[in-house]
Amino acid sequence: MIDQGIKSRPVYERLRIDHSGLRHLFVADTPSFSVEPLAAEAQALEVWAVAPLDSEGVSPALTDERHRSFRSVQGLIQRLTHRLKDERMGFRLYAAGREGFLWDVYGTAQQAGLGRQEVFLTHHGSTRRRVMCVHCRTFNEGVTTTIAQCEGCGAQLFVRDHFSRRLSAYMGVKVDAELPGDVPPAEQAYQ
Amino acid sequence: MIVEGKLSARVVGVDTISPTLKRFRFAPQGGGQFPTAAPGAHILVTLRGPDRVWKNSYSLVTTPEQRDQYAIIVRRADASRGGSHFLHDVITGGEAVELSAPASLFPIASLARKHILISGGIGLTPFLSYVPVLRSRKATFELHQFCSEGEAGVFRDLLGNEDGRIHVHGSTSRPALDQILADQPLGTHVYTCGPDRLMEGVAQTARRLGFPENAIHQESFGAATGGQPFVVRLTRSRKTIEVGETQTLLEALEAAGVEAPCLCRGGACGVCLVPVVDGEPEHRDHVLSDAERAEGRIIATCVSRAKSASLVLDL
Repeated sequence: MIDQGIKSRPVYERLRIDHSGLRHLFVADTPSFSVEPLAAEAQALEVWAVAPLDSEGVSPALTDERHRSFRSVQGLIQRLTHRLKDERMGFRLYAAGREGFLWDVYGTAQQAGLGRQEVFLTHHGSTRRRVMCVHCRTFNEGVTTTIAQCEGCGAQLFVRDHFSRRLSAYMGVKVDAELPGDVPPAEQAYQ
Repeated sequence: MIVEGKLSARVVGVDTISPTLKRFRFAPQGGGQFPTAAPGAHILVTLRGPDRVWKNSYSLVTTPEQRDQYAIIVRRADASRGGSHFLHDVITGGEAVELSAPASLFPIASLARKHILISGGIGLTPFLSYVPVLRSRKATFELHQFCSEGEAGVFRDLLGNEDGRIHVHGSTSRPALDQILADQPLGTHVYTCGPDRLMEGVAQTARRLGFPENAIHQESFGAATGGQPFVVRLTRSRKTIEVGETQTLLEALEAAGVEAPCLCRGGACGVCLVPVVDGEPEHRDHVLSDAERAEGRIIATCVSRAKSASLVLDL
């Protein structure tokens, strides 16, 4: 993969419980993230995960009261928004999943007043990118190639490593702006 | 961040607030305006007495918009290094003074959702510039001022109309810090200024309740308490200076005529850091990292002292 040397691309570390917090909630966009090491660090860790219908019977059943599963990412984020309204100081939030999910969670947390030192993120699963077209502002989901056609305006977009935490997306800019039609071959880069 | 330079000013008013508190008002020498000061900013006031010079830091109690005058409130301290006595006893108005440009090491956190201000005694001063700003921003805040019963009235007057957000606690009706800080909404920041014991209590209580470090703010200048006397040798100016029990290293340097850098005089800003060539420093500042402390190669002269009998500084 090409390292474009752009610093805004987030670097993630392994999740650890921040013991300066008193209450801990972990959220994931998949039941496949192994949360046991984290749960071992904090007895009272609550675990919320998205487990779509088709994963029923495949992923381990989440049954006890500290575990909660959701049908969709939107469902989880909605519930999180609601929950954070009533939370108090001393709360810590942890998230694992695809990058788009992580920063949606972060944005939700920030909206609720949580700061940088209270939210911890780690990337898990697909590296496919959410790419925002700077020309028409369409969000293109699940981009796997270094150059992709915008679903909104049809432009051939170069996927920069420039990541917006606010928009939770990478920046896509027209690759052939100077020489229309001069589009280099796309490489498969993000799985 | 820190504006360099000095401001020539004149004392244009001295108001007696209580037997031990006076407000000193300064205006720019020759008219004009002072720089805009952030809420919580302080200035270094240089006082020239007949036989010595004092440099003391004081929080501005004027709002940021007020640029024709700066004001400070000073308590005449019993165990003073002399500066507050000089201000109280000698300055009556009209004198020329030298001020540093205002520096802000105690800013309002712009992302906070709620601000809790906790001060003790004259530690209230930085919050006198906070409160009007928080009010005009329509921010959610509460202020808790701890003081002696006898001074409660004085501080109530300074704070103006008590409106449910402002609480002055005399010694007979003190809520526990737990009570103030428990059960706060996400995004709450706490700020404290006052005696060390109060500030430590606030920081510890906040930590115990799960406040992250960046939500706990302490204004830390004020009490640079003394310690064992020691000797300091300066390699560049080739001087050997004795630091007395009740004197800070910085004061000893200044008394010996050494041009030592400084700003906050409370171990908070890091302007006074100088390299240590030999000897073991006793770090009392809030600037150095644990690694830098352990190395002992650099010292904040305004608060730190020596563990060894002597220190050699590259100054």
